[in-house]
Amino acid sequence: MPGFLAMADAAGLLEVLGQPFMQRALLGGLLTGALGGLLGSFAVLRQLSFFSDALGHSALLGISLGILLGVNPTLVLIPFAVLFALLVNQLVARSGLPADALLNIVYSTSLAFAVVALSLVETYRGGIQQLLFGDILGISWSDLSVIAVLLLGALIYLALSLRAQVLLTLNSDLAGAFGVGASRHRLAFIVLLAVVVAVSIKAVGVLLISAFVVIPACGGRLVSRHFPLYALISACLGGGCALLGLLGSGLTNLPSGPCVVIVQFAGFLLALLVSKTTRGSPAGVFLHSGRQP
Amino acid sequence: MTAHTPVLLVEGLTVRRGERLAVEQVSFQLARETDTALVGPNGAGKSSLVSALLGLLPRAAGTVQILGHELGQAGELPRSVRAQIAYLPQTLALQGRFPLTVGEFVGFGFDPPGLGLAWLGYRRRSEAVHYALKRTGCQDLAERRLSELSGGQLKRVLLAFCVVRPRQLLVLDEAQAGLDAPSSEQFQQLLLELRRQEGWTVLQVSHDLEMVRRSCDQVLCLNQRLRCSGVPNHALSPARLAELYGPNVVPYRHHHAGVPGHG
Repeated sequence: MPGFLAMADAAGLLEVLGQPFMQRALLGGLLTGALGGLLGSFAVLRQLSFFSDALGHSALLGISLGILLGVNPTLVLIPFAVLFALLVNQLVARSGLPADALLNIVYSTSLAFAVVALSLVETYRGGIQQLLFGDILGISWSDLSVIAVLLLGALIYLALSLRAQVLLTLNSDLAGAFGVGASRHRLAFIVLLAVVVAVSIKAVGVLLISAFVVIPACGGRLVSRHFPLYALISACLGGGCALLGLLGSGLTNLPSGPCVVIVQFAGFLLALLVSKTTRGSPAGVFLHSGRQP
Repeated sequence: MTAHTPVLLVEGLTVRRGERLAVEQVSFQLARETDTALVGPNGAGKSSLVSALLGLLPRAAGTVQILGHELGQAGELPRSVRAQIAYLPQTLALQGRFPLTVGEFVGFGFDPPGLGLAWLGYRRRSEAVHYALKRTGCQDLAERRLSELSGGQLKRVLLAFCVVRPRQLLVLDEAQAGLDAPSSEQFQQLLLELRRQEGWTVLQVSHDLEMVRRSCDQVLCLNQRLRCSGVPNHALSPARLAELYGPNVVPYRHHHAGVPGHG
């Protein structure tokens, strides 16, 4: 988007805010950030942070296959991500090896194949930087619709299965004894996470996708004691930081994806500061319980 | 289901862990409002047996009936029956700053099995949580993070999780593991008190043979097969213990002076 990059000052920013592509980018950032924060709040507790990172890197193979076959990479990405999630789930269940080691094997192998596949495509001019760091300014209305539907679906599923997700995290036998189908919910969650990662990659890129999942959730965890508040703060941090990051990107003429992640990190540091200064104080009680001091 | 129907009826239960036979041809039953201990050496198959009874592990053979309902091969039970079962694990996987308060956790114990919105019936739920915390002496812990509790506090909160709604069968898998002697004694006293008040039928896996001798009505001695069963003085006689644990086990009776409620 060279037109956007040329307008780097504040006055230019106001003008660019009126542009449809920027409005779509801001809405896309807000939705993708909120979705990442919401899913991340569960993924971090379920110790699936590395899963989103590995899936992000492996997605490069899906994109490469799409390019190689002459198919829109976004269309290949979702089934690829779901297959990746199912494969990892089966490998973890059947091999008895630690999940992080298996993820490492699958993602480094996928990455190797992706690089080989890309080297075979002589005519590809899409730009590796867009694959690695995303192109949120190129987000379309149809992309936005998919993200909005996913956010709604994730909200409904997580609200209905909140008890199951928390009990599974705490003790899978405890969850099973109370009627939670452990394997069904585990599979449903990682497939949902895989689809979210696949859809968000266009905006965020394969290298930075895990930041969208992990950083807002860790920030939310630092300042919340109650679970619903934690999920809400994580989603707000994700969405809010994405908005600020995109605006910052417009002001400074810097790449949008990395700007968002830098703002997320600043949000995390702020949460850390708040958690240190409010611990044990009336303000801390306000933040933690939702009651006025 | 009649008043004489056993709460738990197990017949010819066989469980495999991969290629290994963990539990073989085990049969027993639990009568209403009794406290039964499951004892045996490490690797005897106690946890496998408990997992199979709860429907968490598939059975290689045999049948399990809970409150007169047959447990399906994949752990299927009517929701109304599943809601009557409570389980206390050894521990919870609590990472630092786990964003869940004691009150929220106990509230999950109130919710019926299956999917649902936790905030529906909020008033009834919060009253039940408040009462459960009070009965287990945890009322001051309601706003504390679960991950901030001591071992003894966590066990009491787990009991609050069980008592927050009426239940009939309580299964404990070495619930006192990791507790020091006074905390273990206090936990056992609280369990006994709640069991009497609630009319629970209890099955507890334990290595504390002295506690079993003192508190339980029936003992099941397991080492892959059911080696013996009966009242504690019969099942835990020196000869039977030697048969179960090997000849080097010396029964040791200990007393905790100064522990409330312990004579």
